[in-house]
Amino acid sequence: MDAFVFYIAGVVALIASGIVVTRKNPVYSAIFLVLFFTMVSIQFLVLRAPFLAVIQLLVYAGAIMVLFLFVLMLLNLTPEERREQVSRSRKIAALLGSVALFVLLAGAIAKSPTVREAASLTAPVPTGEAGLAVAGETRELAVSLFTVHVLPFEFTSFLILIAIVGAIYLTKSRGSTTTARRDRGAAQADTLPSPPEVVLEGEK
Amino acid sequence: MELHLDTALYMATAIFCVGVYGVLSRQNIIVLLMSLELMLNAVNVALIVLGRAFLPTASSAAVANTPQVFVVIVLAVAAAEAAVGLSILLAVYRRWRTTNVAEINLLKG
Repeated sequence: MDAFVFYIAGVVALIASGIVVTRKNPVYSAIFLVLFFTMVSIQFLVLRAPFLAVIQLLVYAGAIMVLFLFVLMLLNLTPEERREQVSRSRKIAALLGSVALFVLLAGAIAKSPTVREAASLTAPVPTGEAGLAVAGETRELAVSLFTVHVLPFEFTSFLILIAIVGAIYLTKSRGSTTTARRDRGAAQADTLPSPPEVVLEGEK
Repeated sequence: MELHLDTALYMATAIFCVGVYGVLSRQNIIVLLMSLELMLNAVNVALIVLGRAFLPTASSAAVANTPQVFVVIVLAVAAAEAAVGLSILLAVYRRWRTTNVAEINLLKG
């Protein structure tokens, strides 16, 4: 049953990812990306990672997709603006390149003795020793994250801080460098009457 | 029905290669960023699959949880990458009125 669910979710994820990279309209890509993230989340559930399945839905299908759709809405691209000039030969070259990469990686997987000797993914987990039966559950994952792996965790928080500062700095409009802002300002100056002079009390 | 490690890894590899195809064949920055998310997710699936496959032979719960800790960190990096990437896209769009990577070819402008 677990294997069946994993296969179905994997096939749907593969089809959805193919649709994501081929649609002309980025909004359709974003919608199918949500489907893809949901399927990956189901795969995580089957593979005994319930906490990550929920986080996958919250962070990817929730936060990151909202970010993408918000930017799409903000840009509001017309069909002319989102037109791409990708030649047929370049598409074929990209296809050949990615297929070649797949063949290379699949060959490496097929040749690996570690992979060949690994247990089945639906094999039962030994209970009673070293707490393996509860590995991946939220409590155990938190213990790992805050004891053994606390240093990378703290570095990650620093990385996110840098990302926040960077995002704010990049999106801040800086006066004359933005043509749109300048155009809008010029248009306003043409149409609006000059503001009356305001004399504040106590000011000479 | 049995689920073997190699089959699951082939699936993750296929999704990764679809992401590579997207990055190579598209010119819209938004779709490029989505393809990057596809690739990051494929790697996440591969990590979780490997962690599950070697779970019965792990020496302790901390060892068994290491792949999932990796995935948590990849998630955080992906969120940071999406935020910075989309804000760069907004800044570029404001300046040049385009989201086509072929038209953004100046380092200084």
